[in-house]
Amino acid sequence: MNEVFPSPAAGMFGRRLRRERGPRVPVIVITGFLGAGKTTLLKRFLGTPEGAGTAVVINEFGAAGIDDALIRASADETVLLGNGCLCCITRSDLQQTLRRMLMERDRGEIPDFRRVVIETSGLADPSPILQTFATDRALGEVFHVEVVLTLVDAENGLDTLGWSSEARKQVILADRLVVTKSDIARGAAEALTLQLRKLNAGAEILKAVNGEIDPARLTESAGDQRNTFVAEAEHSDGISSFVLNETSPMKWTVFSRAMETLLTLRGTDVLRVKGFLDVEGCKGPVLVQFVQHLSPPPVELETWPDGDRASRVVFITRHIPEKQIRDLFAAVKALA
Amino acid sequence: MSATDPLHSGEPVSWNFKLLSQNNMSGFGGMGEGMAMQIAKDGRRIMWLAHESAPKNFTGVDVTDPRNPKVVVQTALPHADVRSNSLEMSGDILAVAYQTKKKGMQPAGFELFDCSVPENPKSISFFDCSGPTSRGVHQLWFCDGEYVHMAAGSPDFEAANPNDDQFYRCIDVRDPTKPREVGRWWLSGTRKGDNVAPPPRHTLDKGYRAHNCNVYPQRPDRMYLCYLDGGMYIMDIADKSQPKVISHWTNSPPYTGFTHTAVPLFDRGLILVTEESTEDNAKDWPKLIWMLDARDETHPVSFSTLPMPPVDAYKNRGGRFGSHNIHENVPVPTSFQSDQLVFGTFFNGGMRAFDISNAYQPKEVAAFVPPAPNGSKLGAIQLNDVYVDERQVVYTVDRFSGGLYILEMDF
Repeated sequence: MNEVFPSPAAGMFGRRLRRERGPRVPVIVITGFLGAGKTTLLKRFLGTPEGAGTAVVINEFGAAGIDDALIRASADETVLLGNGCLCCITRSDLQQTLRRMLMERDRGEIPDFRRVVIETSGLADPSPILQTFATDRALGEVFHVEVVLTLVDAENGLDTLGWSSEARKQVILADRLVVTKSDIARGAAEALTLQLRKLNAGAEILKAVNGEIDPARLTESAGDQRNTFVAEAEHSDGISSFVLNETSPMKWTVFSRAMETLLTLRGTDVLRVKGFLDVEGCKGPVLVQFVQHLSPPPVELETWPDGDRASRVVFITRHIPEKQIRDLFAAVKALA
Repeated sequence: MSATDPLHSGEPVSWNFKLLSQNNMSGFGGMGEGMAMQIAKDGRRIMWLAHESAPKNFTGVDVTDPRNPKVVVQTALPHADVRSNSLEMSGDILAVAYQTKKKGMQPAGFELFDCSVPENPKSISFFDCSGPTSRGVHQLWFCDGEYVHMAAGSPDFEAANPNDDQFYRCIDVRDPTKPREVGRWWLSGTRKGDNVAPPPRHTLDKGYRAHNCNVYPQRPDRMYLCYLDGGMYIMDIADKSQPKVISHWTNSPPYTGFTHTAVPLFDRGLILVTEESTEDNAKDWPKLIWMLDARDETHPVSFSTLPMPPVDAYKNRGGRFGSHNIHENVPVPTSFQSDQLVFGTFFNGGMRAFDISNAYQPKEVAAFVPPAPNGSKLGAIQLNDVYVDERQVVYTVDRFSGGLYILEMDF
């Protein structure tokens, strides 16, 4: 309804925001192999001042719980922890769990939470979690995925990455990577880091010390890492990533129509698309995100973070040559 | 555990606001609805705050570092039966209202101060409104350095009903040493001797009196005048000596009057109108912030209100609960300007921010409900007014003892 009372302060995507998530509750998705140290890292975080008011959703039963009470708790029950935190293990639909938590919060049955951490276990694909927030209008209005964090342990990580395509996917889709147990396997940590860099050139790589990282690295939005995206070579599994760069403003219709075509024809192979666009007629960068066929509404920020106006969108795709996507955009642009 | 939303449960809340600091005004933390921001010649940022009632008049606070506000000057009223409550600033000139408890008392009017040296405000002039029929000035607007637009009494105005003793007066202060009235307007029927019937009294009968008289440079020929139980008037003030009504909007009855502040959003064709909750325990509920379609200024139409927390969660917490003041996009360089975000105070409902980008579906995006401040007799916060500076730092004040709270937006 913005068109009824338009404003120079709002663009075609509504009110310009200071930051990507606006007023929404931040969501941190933590993935990693069994034994990578997710629970250790999370427990430590929940005890810090920065961790207060965190709601943890463990997305697969069978994971080691935050404490003994959780292992005994039935699925879909919310348990209060210290420091204003709470935890819920769910085997069922993540959407249902989140909706239930919102209802419990609205009824005052659980404390108000400031963020949600979703912990996946084992070799889970983070894509369905991202899709949950991209498609569910109600949840997408309340929550915003700030960062996908993947933990890889230095002891076994390199080996696991060698045999597991799911493990490689977790790394490729991550915004931030954490190498754990590097104090135990010092030499392996260096080799692992090199392999992680090959799989995901854009992600920040951190080393956990005694199972801990700076709490800010857990909570800070991944949006700040836009500048580090670089072009990628193709990986195994047919997964490749590249960055679409444009130095001149792009018509929104060009981007949206090209994406519509790409997603209609090859949506299942568009694993993740994320970045800033310099859209004609928009003052600030427009943030776009796609997870396969699905995407949350784009948002426009108030200012360009580094003053450098240029579109930079990362594509992570499977079995789609980079040239085909670039040619598609060029063709649509030529027609527009 | 309470059976309501923790954000609206009446418990202390800080959602999408970060508290940077609090200052209790040297123990005199009862603050009114006058908030103005100065950049002093030495570069310091001074917030000028009117007190809600005696013994203090106004306080200047150095908020250059919002995490470390410092009182730089605090002035006193001459006696306990006068309050300032309202002030505004243009450049270094501060205009402060004086309203007495009863008609006939003094000082009743407004005073202009030169605050070039914030530590030493110097009186420039006093505009006297006192008289047997007047309590002086309740609220004033002074942003252009030229005119004070105010809700005031006058010795030559006797109200037909004692509750209707303040009307709109326009005072030329281009020579600040010699303020002079250049125009006035009152609701016909409220003055003794008017030859129209007086307006019908509302149930709570708070009076047909002027309150906020906002004028903006986008339309200097327009004033957005709130008239308590009389609703809101859009006024043509092209000829300041003869203000004329363009249009009128009211929701009362059935609502409970006390229309308080109107803020036009010119680019969008909207007007926000607040009303003030004046009864403890929400006896005058609902008290809301209204969204008006003013694309045709001759026919403003209300079509939505800003969402409020459930009244049951707040009404018995102590003191008032309901709308009052909003950040008014004051037309000065030190004020945040937005037609997308609204900041409002709701007494024990705290201070809340709303996204009005979809004017038909405003959304609450942040809330700050601090605990009852030290010295609170009501046992609850009573946030009274809010101001956002051009750095997007948010200032809000408690009516009784909490003083000044300074916050950062986290959304």
